[in-house]
Amino acid sequence: MVDFKTWQCLTCDFIYSEADGIPEEGIPAGTTWEDVPDDWQCPDCAMGKEDFEMQEVTNTSAAS
Amino acid sequence: MKSIVIIGAGHAGLTLAREIRSQDKTVPITIINQDPVQAYYKPNLSKALAMNKSPGDLILKPIMALKRDLNVNIIEKTRVLKIDPEKNTVHYLAKEVGGENQTSFGLEYQSLILATGASPIELPIKGAAGNVVSVNTLQDYALFRELIETKKRVLIIGAGFVGCEFASDLSGQGYEVNVVDRSSWPLQAVLPEPMGEEIKQTLSNNQVNWHFQSTVEEIQRDDQGPLNVQLSNKTTIQADVILSAVGLQPNTQLAMAAGLNTRKGIVIDEHCQTSAHGIYALGDCVEYNGQPLPFIAPATLAAKALAKTLTGNKTRLLLPPQPVAIKIANCPTLICPPSSQQGARQGARQGAWQVKGSGQDLEAQYLTAENEFCGFALLGKKTSLKGEFLSRY
Repeated sequence: MVDFKTWQCLTCDFIYSEADGIPEEGIPAGTTWEDVPDDWQCPDCAMGKEDFEMQEVTNTSAAS
Repeated sequence: MKSIVIIGAGHAGLTLAREIRSQDKTVPITIINQDPVQAYYKPNLSKALAMNKSPGDLILKPIMALKRDLNVNIIEKTRVLKIDPEKNTVHYLAKEVGGENQTSFGLEYQSLILATGASPIELPIKGAAGNVVSVNTLQDYALFRELIETKKRVLIIGAGFVGCEFASDLSGQGYEVNVVDRSSWPLQAVLPEPMGEEIKQTLSNNQVNWHFQSTVEEIQRDDQGPLNVQLSNKTTIQADVILSAVGLQPNTQLAMAAGLNTRKGIVIDEHCQTSAHGIYALGDCVEYNGQPLPFIAPATLAAKALAKTLTGNKTRLLLPPQPVAIKIANCPTLICPPSSQQGARQGARQGAWQVKGSGQDLEAQYLTAENEFCGFALLGKKTSLKGEFLSRY
């Protein structure tokens, strides 16, 4: 079983879930954080990947 | 060593400080702010009830954590009196250490950044004084939550981004909400009518009453009783709290007094520099290419570019189209407003909306007279087409 993680934007609390991806932005479900493009921006506040932190709790699906 | 001085600790000011620090570990940074300083995400103020968060819960970082993590000097609850561009000095009023009296201090800067934000526009309504609130800061919001705590009826003036989000958030918690706007449908400035109608309907189902093509004429309070609000359409509405959400105007006073070029906002060039050498501006207070730059994303992008410029790597501000999500319960909405935020493009563009879809699932593109795609809006399931629409630019 793949252990998917979630990552949270430090500025706006947006949560990226590896399990869910963001299909409407061309990031399929199951895309690990490492494979999210480096120039990807937070869809809410435009911060970059470097402004996200991994969340400790990883067994929840993405907040909607 | 002279500091980089930032006036304002909202999203623009704090993000800039963080970005400068990620480029340069040692350059001294001082932030001066009128209000208490804490990091929070302003768009969450109009969503907090649905998020089940108190005003305190919205604080992402308190001042101590900001000082420590960013290694910055923060002077909070302090008003800047004036800027002296000739002497590269900012003057502010503060208490002396151990003293009681306020004294004027001068702080020399190496670079000065104005992140002074924007203030709510106050409509000249008879009886508004003391009876109308605006929510533009976390402090405002804490006060608003106290006001509505034991109340039921909220009247909102303005059906734009903030007014619609508050209408959704409040009605979702059982508040009786009336919305008054002089336009004809919600978000008329940025949405075609069929989409506005969908939002109107969705929120109507949730006990929001709309009063379009109307303005508030007069507000009267019966002693400690409710407020009686008279509209131009001759309706009278009773409300416990009146929230004004009719837009913001850039805070340009300091810049203007210092002789900087200001129009609607503080005028900046593609490097975020004002008309004065060494003084920069970003966020809600600026005007770029003839337009203000509201919203979070342009401020973030400006902070990133300006941080590089300030640390020796001159970087232009680029503003790709950035859709804004609006939180309307049961009606996902994404808007990429026509013409705005198109860095190189100037002014509002003449054109028309083309709408496709059915029910709530609508897509709209905005085309200029020359058939050029320059804006879009997506509702319901169509919000999943975001990537495809962005690729059309």
